[in-house]
Amino acid sequence: MTRLRREGAVPPIAAFIVFLTAYIIINPGLLTRFQLQTAANLVVPLALVALGQLIIVLVGGIDISIGAIMGLSNVVFATAMALLPVPLAILAGIGAGLACGLLNGFLVAYGRLPAIAVTLASAFIFGSISREVMDRPGGGITTDFYLATSGELLMFLPASILWLSLAAVGLWLLLHRTAFGRHIYGVGSNAESVRAAGINARATTLGAFMLSSILVSFGAIMLAGSTLTGDPRSGDPYLLTSIAVVALAGASFSGGRGSIIGTILAACTLGLVGSLLFFAGVNSYWQYVIAALIVISVVGIPVIVRQVAAAGRRA
Amino acid sequence: MQLETEAGAVEAAPALPDDSLVVRRLFKHYGAVHAVDDVSLECLPGEVLALVGENGAGKSTVAKILAGALRPTSGTIELSGAVVDSSSVHESRRAGIACAFQELALVPDWTVAENLSLPDGRALRPFSHRVAIATTRATLEEFELDHIDPSVPVATLSLADRQMVEIVRAIAVRPRILILDEASSALGPPGVEWLFRRIHELTALGASVIYVSHRLREIARIADRGTVLRDGKVVGQFTRDNWTDNELVSLMAGREASRHFPKRPALAHTSLPPALAVTNLVADGLSGVTLSIARGEILGIGGLQGHGQAELLRALYGAVPASSDSWSMGGAAIKRLNPVRAVRLGAGYVPEDRKREGLALQMGVGENLLAPWLRPVGLGGTPLLRQERTWIQSVFDALSVRTRGALENAGALSGGNQQKLVFGRWIGRDRKLVLLHDPTRGIDVRAKQELYSAITMLSELGVGVLWFSTEVEELVHLCHRVVVLYRGAVAEELSGKKLTADAIVGAAVGVKGKQ
Repeated sequence: MTRLRREGAVPPIAAFIVFLTAYIIINPGLLTRFQLQTAANLVVPLALVALGQLIIVLVGGIDISIGAIMGLSNVVFATAMALLPVPLAILAGIGAGLACGLLNGFLVAYGRLPAIAVTLASAFIFGSISREVMDRPGGGITTDFYLATSGELLMFLPASILWLSLAAVGLWLLLHRTAFGRHIYGVGSNAESVRAAGINARATTLGAFMLSSILVSFGAIMLAGSTLTGDPRSGDPYLLTSIAVVALAGASFSGGRGSIIGTILAACTLGLVGSLLFFAGVNSYWQYVIAALIVISVVGIPVIVRQVAAAGRRA
Repeated sequence: MQLETEAGAVEAAPALPDDSLVVRRLFKHYGAVHAVDDVSLECLPGEVLALVGENGAGKSTVAKILAGALRPTSGTIELSGAVVDSSSVHESRRAGIACAFQELALVPDWTVAENLSLPDGRALRPFSHRVAIATTRATLEEFELDHIDPSVPVATLSLADRQMVEIVRAIAVRPRILILDEASSALGPPGVEWLFRRIHELTALGASVIYVSHRLREIARIADRGTVLRDGKVVGQFTRDNWTDNELVSLMAGREASRHFPKRPALAHTSLPPALAVTNLVADGLSGVTLSIARGEILGIGGLQGHGQAELLRALYGAVPASSDSWSMGGAAIKRLNPVRAVRLGAGYVPEDRKREGLALQMGVGENLLAPWLRPVGLGGTPLLRQERTWIQSVFDALSVRTRGALENAGALSGGNQQKLVFGRWIGRDRKLVLLHDPTRGIDVRAKQELYSAITMLSELGVGVLWFSTEVEELVHLCHRVVVLYRGAVAEELSGKKLTADAIVGAAVGVKGKQ
């Protein structure tokens, strides 16, 4: 609990509970097997990409190329599925994403360039490459793969939730139970101190970009599985949403603070806003307004409360 | 004089034991500024070597270079006859040199246990917080810090506890050379005793300690030998019991006979309401400062950096929140201040960092000068510069700004000329009070002279000047009065015959009543 509070995860968790309650009241059908599976398939790729964004934000950066990495990994995977056995295709998809992460990470960590500039530029490069790989939706994704990634594992348990859980637990172990993970938090918290402590801050930053790109590729593969196609544009909507999710999760954009569970639940909240409005009969254009209001109020209310409290103390 | 001068000491050095630390001809240049200028040192096993000097003398830079946190421009570091790879803190520590840094090098969001356990070992090893807490608790107990809970974030500790954790982190790796950079600055008297016990333990085992400090009381107790730095150079060396406070203070402060200071202007505007009168000013880092400055008076602020000087200037300019019992500027009472209002009331401010706080380096020289005088609505760009041409030219003339014209980018000017732009904003603009944050730091001698003349000119025109300087000589020669700040309060006020370099430095380092 202390850790959740320190990582800023309490408001997004509370927001998720409120949102979920509202959702179930408006649309009790969420609790049917089919709707649960649909909702999970909608949310899981976003959660994975947002976790990738979170890693970059933790080291004090931001990744504008995250949608492009996702698109590239998605089309490489879909193309490879038509030619190679499934494990190799997965490796190819993750490898494509990892290459992007390496390029970004190398330029940021060793070229000392700002992450926002590097990833903005690389977004165009990755986007062009994915259109070169596949210029219209397609690829060879099989129904078996759909069932394995996006089907139903047990009654009321969508397979995608299992995969997300595995990724989240693995990531949690890496961030909280290895020295590397703690270094990531340290670099974002105070890079100078970390360097002065004798830790290789550059290698940590590079590692963070690599880790992030693996998560994003994983999200891209899950998305390919649930839509049964590869699409070079599939990653585009995830860029701004992933940043919004990380903001909603209470992570600090100057780095060093952010929680995995908060990010996953924030992804669930923002990922489901659109379908909630559908069931509530509201024009879907409003989903962005609603999402924006959720982010502003969840992020803003604690700040206002703190300011009012501080002003009260001074007076 | 019992202090050896540099030339004598270096030549007469006896043969060193094999496992000494030998630093040869260290230089560190930042552009034209020589932060470390040919420093050589040696430190014998089991010895405590003091490194003393004023702010900006280069002590911390030397310490950082030895610790691997900063690369020297040139020079070598040898331990036991082998050259130390000091390319990173990690490498230096592997070679046996560990450092407790002045700016605390602990990661604030990490727990004590994480800060002590994370730096060493492979990155991808498993990390168990429970194990780290257990080993850290054992380490803390070994070094008498049982009261610190290893499982809390460092940010929640008191400053003194943080400092002790930082020291323990350096000691715990069993270094052969331990560097303590102002390690006692946040420690109270019991903390200093604790630190000295740690030093004795280390030296008893044959390790050496380099004790960077300006606290003469502590140096008298702990140091076997010492080296005095000023302006990045070694200006003297001393051995235990072979020195006095006065000699050391004089050596630290230095005597620059060559510098020419203009004559201090006579006070001619004292009948006007004071430029500034404030009682019991309280702000972050300031615990009740009372000051008054007459029109035309130059009031110097002395003291070691970090004792509230920067905070005082910012508070008086309204850049940080502050409260007071009474406060007026040029006779106008002030309750709450912000920079816009401060300028309207007749204040001007030259901030600490001209590149970051003072100038828009990508913009023109003229626009930088005009920055405080631009209206939100009105002419901008070249037409405005044309309109203000006479004033801009008068500033150029008054300060001898060397520029190709009002349209040149401020970033293209030398440091001294950039500083003149920050200063020049307030010339000929009917100011009552000008607040200066060490305006002559890091600029060349000629630019310094020109700023001195400009400051005396302002004084003659009846502008009250509040001048924080890290150069004691400036305070002695140009100020009518000097107040020395210590821990956010006025420790001493000096004027007339009592205004001497020794008195200022003495008050700054907590030695009173020097002549």
